[in-house]
Amino acid sequence: MLRLSSLIADLQHLERAAQAAHGPLILDAFTRNTRFEIGAVYLRDGNGFRLAAKSDQCSAPDLLQIEIPLDAGDFQLPVLPTPLLILPIRTHREAAGVLTLYSAGQVSEDDLQLARVAASYLNALLTNQRLVHEMREGDFQLKSRLWELESLYDIGLSIAATLNVDELADEVLFRMISLTNARRAALFLRDGEQFKLYRSFGDPPPLDDALAARLMSSPDAVTLDDGLLVMLPIKGNNATIGVLAAADRETREGVGKFEENEMRLLSLFANQVAIALENARLHRDALEKQAMQRELDLAATIQRDILPKAIPSIDGLPIAAFSKSARQVGGDYHAFFERDGVVTMLVADVSGKSMPAALLVSALHAAVQLLFAEDRELGDIATELNKHIHRWSAENKFVTLVMVSIDREQETIEFVNAGHNPQYIFTDGEMETLKSHGLPVGILPNSRYMTQRRRFPKGSFAVLYSDGITEAENVAGEELENDRLEAVLREHIDASPDVICDRIAVAVEEFAAGAPQKDDQTIVVARFVS
Amino acid sequence: MTDELRLAVERRGPDGAILHTKGYINNVGGEEIATRAYELLDAGCKTLLLDLRETKIVNSIGISILIEIIEKAMERNGRVAFCCLTPVIFKTFHIMGLANYAKIFDSEENAIAELGLAA
Repeated sequence: MLRLSSLIADLQHLERAAQAAHGPLILDAFTRNTRFEIGAVYLRDGNGFRLAAKSDQCSAPDLLQIEIPLDAGDFQLPVLPTPLLILPIRTHREAAGVLTLYSAGQVSEDDLQLARVAASYLNALLTNQRLVHEMREGDFQLKSRLWELESLYDIGLSIAATLNVDELADEVLFRMISLTNARRAALFLRDGEQFKLYRSFGDPPPLDDALAARLMSSPDAVTLDDGLLVMLPIKGNNATIGVLAAADRETREGVGKFEENEMRLLSLFANQVAIALENARLHRDALEKQAMQRELDLAATIQRDILPKAIPSIDGLPIAAFSKSARQVGGDYHAFFERDGVVTMLVADVSGKSMPAALLVSALHAAVQLLFAEDRELGDIATELNKHIHRWSAENKFVTLVMVSIDREQETIEFVNAGHNPQYIFTDGEMETLKSHGLPVGILPNSRYMTQRRRFPKGSFAVLYSDGITEAENVAGEELENDRLEAVLREHIDASPDVICDRIAVAVEEFAAGAPQKDDQTIVVARFVS
Repeated sequence: MTDELRLAVERRGPDGAILHTKGYINNVGGEEIATRAYELLDAGCKTLLLDLRETKIVNSIGISILIEIIEKAMERNGRVAFCCLTPVIFKTFHIMGLANYAKIFDSEENAIAELGLAA
């Protein structure tokens, strides 16, 4: 009885001792502080009880496969000598072990009672220790879940804050490794039908063609090496855009399979990477679009410079012009030339739209300026233009054009219509069309064009236009067509070129009634007044 | 990038030491730190400063080992402190509760001055 306090003090060492030391500590506390100088301690190991400590004089098997009842003393153990006292060691949840005690000498009922009281204290102590351990474990798990949530939240913020895929890839990889306890990880990005290593931590797992093909078509994670390696396809909008790999999940004992929680986390990280990559791609597309827009702006500026800045001001021959591109840069072109009192108007429409058409317009402009600088007649100019455009423009590129020269002295017009719409002249109140009499320039290398002539007395007027006028569509998809254009011309048969030009433009706009403009529109009108 | 931890120990005075880590603090790396830390505690060290400036990743097993080191040091009336943590690890240590039992410094100079770890 006198040694109960030191027995309890000895048992209190259990609170701080590692589990492996429990057996010897329990045995030592009981054999030193009671009359039972010999004993053995078994502690739970899986489904059985393993010998954790024994006195030298005690013969006991290493393993006991028995059920230990909650009350002591009424069951037998295969240990020798037969114990005087068998004390179950229990926690709040389970039988944790058994303590057997012997004595060479006499023991009293008080000695037995002392040992039983001490065993009760031991059980309370172990229960308390187990509860503290479970509480700490629970606390750690709770904090780990919070850590996971915070990490995913932080990555979301990072994705929103930066478009630098390099930085994001590192951050995602580091956090993924931390939270899944992986020893190795890698990020592969798609390159054609293969995946190329983009980032890795530790040795990257191999990814051969067969595995790549499997990952391309797999909607879910692919698990390899008995669960030690996980590869997750990163899904973009329509395809697999990368692979996230994690390997060798750590445990305190070594490495093991990725469990359900880690698999869920890996899947979330793969989604985060998909978002980051998609954002970066969209940003890259936006930058490319901006660059393209800058090029278009520049091309539009060049084309504006190409088109006449002013209409020739000639007494007795008022001229008006209207030009409206369907896109930022268009395929319509017009120009004016004057030599020895003869004024030439040119309207052309190059095939295609946007930048390719604008480049062809530039080539046409340069050639036209050079050819008109020489004293050539229109048919010859058209023939030379045809050779030039055919030789220097891309395949399938051509230009329809009409050139009309007004000679007031001779009261005639000369014209060439190379594949362009029928153009109009009004002479003595009668309308006449100037129809095409040759292929568009640039189609065949040896096309020749002959100059055509017509009377053009005072009061006559000429209307040149591109097909963007007659083919202007309304919301129902109907075209303006020549009939409507001719009606406008007849209605304003005595009007000035400015008015005629304006009326045509208004008629086109009213007909379209908000429908998008699909083609460039050009109008040039000239009237021989005096 | 490597997954191996490298550790350098710098004794500071009779009862202090700085442990410079480089690499992943996981089970393997954590155990290496623990082994050296326990040796230092056994040798009478009372203050251990872990300089993590070259560590970018720590996992949950590494954290649990660091917690054990802190507890062992406290049992022996010692203390553990950390310095030069990346923002991610700084936040992790706060979430996981290490900051409740170990001081965290932004620089080694500040840590040395406050912990009295002059050479």
